[in-house]
Amino acid sequence: MLISNIKSRPVYERLRLDGAGRRHLVVSDAPRDLPEVIDGVESAGGLLGYWMVASTATVDGQPQTASAGGNAGEVETRAFRAVSHLMDRLTHRLAQESVGFRLYAIGEEGFIWEIARLAREAGLESYECQTAHAGSMRRKVFCVHCKTITSGVTTSLVACDGCGAHLVVRDHFSRTHAAFMGVLADAEAPGDLPPVEELFP
Amino acid sequence: MTIQFKPDETFREDFTYSNSDAAVLRFPFPFPEDVYMYSVNIEPHVPGGPTPAFDNPFDVDEHYVAECRERAKVLEQDPSRCKVLPHMMAAQWDTLELIMESFAASYPAHFTLTREGTNWTWENRPLGIRDSFVFGDASTLPLPPFEYITRQAQGDFTLQDQREDNLFVDGGMVTTQADWSMDFNVGMTFHQWHGPVPLAHEKGVFDRALKFLLRLQFGAPVRRLNWTMTVNPRLDTSPENYPQWGPDRTTLTADNIGAKLHLRVELQSLFRLPRSNAILFGIRCYLCSIEDLARVEVWGKRLHRVLRDLHPDIADYKGTTRYRDLAVAYLAAFDDGAALPSGTAPRQATLPPKG
Repeated sequence: MLISNIKSRPVYERLRLDGAGRRHLVVSDAPRDLPEVIDGVESAGGLLGYWMVASTATVDGQPQTASAGGNAGEVETRAFRAVSHLMDRLTHRLAQESVGFRLYAIGEEGFIWEIARLAREAGLESYECQTAHAGSMRRKVFCVHCKTITSGVTTSLVACDGCGAHLVVRDHFSRTHAAFMGVLADAEAPGDLPPVEELFP
Repeated sequence: MTIQFKPDETFREDFTYSNSDAAVLRFPFPFPEDVYMYSVNIEPHVPGGPTPAFDNPFDVDEHYVAECRERAKVLEQDPSRCKVLPHMMAAQWDTLELIMESFAASYPAHFTLTREGTNWTWENRPLGIRDSFVFGDASTLPLPPFEYITRQAQGDFTLQDQREDNLFVDGGMVTTQADWSMDFNVGMTFHQWHGPVPLAHEKGVFDRALKFLLRLQFGAPVRRLNWTMTVNPRLDTSPENYPQWGPDRTTLTADNIGAKLHLRVELQSLFRLPRSNAILFGIRCYLCSIEDLARVEVWGKRLHRVLRDLHPDIADYKGTTRYRDLAVAYLAAFDDGAALPSGTAPRQATLPPKG
C-alpha cells in the first residue's frame, strides 16, 4: 500500500505577513503568542487581527486591543470558546471583506484547511490565504467508499465512522475535502490487515 | 463506415465483453520497447497511428453502445461520478461542440449534427437520441451539456481550468477509471492529482508535462498512452467500488489468467477549448485479455518482457503485485526471446484461432 511520499500532501512554511495586504487576520486553533506563529508583524502596514481558540466557555469573543510592538499599530485580539465558535464568527467577517484582506491560519491540518475552505467559498484567491501547521499531526480521513469523514485519526489504519471499513490512511490530500483519503485495507483478502502504527501523533 | 455494435455485452457480473478479431488488431498496444518506464510520451493527436484506434479525434468502436449503457448504470448508482464546478459552464459547451462535431465528421453513418445559428439538432442513431436545442442555453437540453454529451461517448473526460500558471481539475465524467476518484480529486492542481504516482515526480515528468500543457494550442490536440492491468473486463475499477472489485485479484489461476487478466490501455487526448481556454482531457479505456493479445506475436512477446522486468514500485502502484508472477509465467510460453522491432504495430493482418 502506498501511503508515503505522495505529492498532494501539503508542505508548510512559516507564516509571513504579506506586505501587499491592507487588513490582516491571523486565526489559530490554540492560544499561541503571535510572534511565535508569524513573521513580519512588526512591519504590518495595516490593521491586524488575531483570533484564537481558547477552548473554554469563560471567554466571549469580544475584541481586546494590544500593541504588537515595533512600528506596528495595535493588534485586535479575540478569544473564542471553540473552533466552531471561531468559524461561525469568521464566516460573517469574510462576508464583509473586500480586496486587500489577507487571512493566515495556523493549527492542526483539519482546522487550517477548513479555514482555507471558508476563505475559498468567500471568494479569496489562494494567495490571499496562507496556512501553516502546528500542534498534533492527527488527520481527518475521507472514506472514498462511503464519503464519511473520520476525525482525529492518529494511526495508519482506522475504522470508518460511517461504514466501519478498515481504512488505510493514504498521504493523498484533498484541499476541497480538507481530508486525507482512506481506502479499504483488506478488500483483496478480507480480514488480512496490516499492523496498526501510530503515525500521526 | 458502419460499425457493428455489440449492445448487450457487459462489464460486470457475468462479464460477456469480448473483442472481435478486428478489435484485437486495432488495440492501442502501449509498449514500443521491451522495457517500460515513465516518460512524457506526448505526441500530436493527428489522424493515423499504429492501429485504426488513432484515426479519429474520438474513437468509436464495437463496444460503444454497451459502454454508454454501463456508464448510465454507474451514474444511476453514484451520480457524483460526474462533477463540474459552477465556473466551468463555458467549458461544458465547448466540450459538447467538440464531441458532436467530431463524431458527426468521423462517423456520418451514425451521428448527424445540424446547425442553424444557435439552433442545433443532434442525432445519435446507435443510442436512439434526437434532440433539438439552443447552443448556449442549458435549459433546452435534458441534462447539463457536459453530462449530456459525455454520456454518449466512450471513455472518461475531465475539464482542466487554467489559472495561476497551473491546471485545476474542475470537472469530470469518470466512470471507467483506473482507481482514482473524481469526487476526491475535484479542484486539485496538476501535481496534486498526480500525487500518488511513484517515481515520475522525481524524474521531473510532471513539471515538464505541465509546462507543455499550459502552452497547448486550440486546434493542435495531443495524445499519450497509459496502461495498467485489470482482472475481468471491468470498466468501473473506481476506488469507490474497490470493496467490490478488489477481491477479483485473488481469483486468478494458471488456468484462467489468460482469459481473465486484461491489459487496460488509456488513449489519453488533450484538447484546448476555444471559449473557456480550459483543456478537455479524454481518457479512453481499452481492455484486451492477455490471451487475445498473445495472438499477436509481437505483442505477446513484448508484454512478457515488460511485465517480467517492470520496476517494483510501478508494479505495486498498478496493483499487479499479487498476480504478476503468474502472468509472466503464462506469457513466457509465447516468448522465444527473439529480438523485436521497436514500435507498437501488430505486424500481422489476421489472428490465429483462439487457444
